[in-house]
Amino acid sequence: MNFSLQRDGDALVLRIEGELDALSAPQIRPVIEEVLAGAPKRVTVDLSALRLVDSSGVGAIVSLFKRQRAAGGEFGITGLAGQPLAVFRVLRLDRALSTSA
Amino acid sequence: MIVLRVPATLQYRDVATRVVSAACKLVEATSAEFGQQVVSAFGEAFNNAVLHAYRGLAPGELVVEVAPLADRIAIRLVDQGRTFDPATIVDPDLDALPESGMGWFIIRSFMDEVRYEPGPPNVLSLAKRL
Repeated sequence: MNFSLQRDGDALVLRIEGELDALSAPQIRPVIEEVLAGAPKRVTVDLSALRLVDSSGVGAIVSLFKRQRAAGGEFGITGLAGQPLAVFRVLRLDRALSTSA
Repeated sequence: MIVLRVPATLQYRDVATRVVSAACKLVEATSAEFGQQVVSAFGEAFNNAVLHAYRGLAPGELVVEVAPLADRIAIRLVDQGRTFDPATIVDPDLDALPESGMGWFIIRSFMDEVRYEPGPPNVLSLAKRL
């Protein structure tokens, strides 16, 4: 798993690449803390280069979504496709998270 | 039959899921979703074996058997760890956007057959029809 953070004013894009699973999900947790510490108005998670996700990885993204929304911020997901889309769909998260303003 | 024997650690998750993914390509699946769903379910089963069956125990071993058949893919995951009772697992409340407890739900949602035989060894049998 690799990630990158790109800031554009008060918006922030977190791009996650590779595999976000039980092995790598703990590595994304400090990144989530860093994202939220900046109190961005909008967080976008770019999953276009994510090859594989499991429930641990989904849990980390849901955690980011909940905390960003609780702080009054906006949240969105882009690039959901392939195996990650299948998992998000079965958990009914593809619309719940992606369409949230 | 493909047989893979690996240490029951998350470091071997990628190897195991790639074997299952490759095996799915040997089955005449009509859609890419077939492999995506099988790999997703298997990955959760692998996690469960490592994180739950062997939790607190000496590092063990997992045996993965994959049978790409004419009408289905059949997978057996064999561990020597703790047993569990699938009947005690409650479905997650998806409306509440859970952050954990989704693994077994994913397995049952994506596979046509899920059978757990407590051991030792514990054997989880999964199958998905074309």
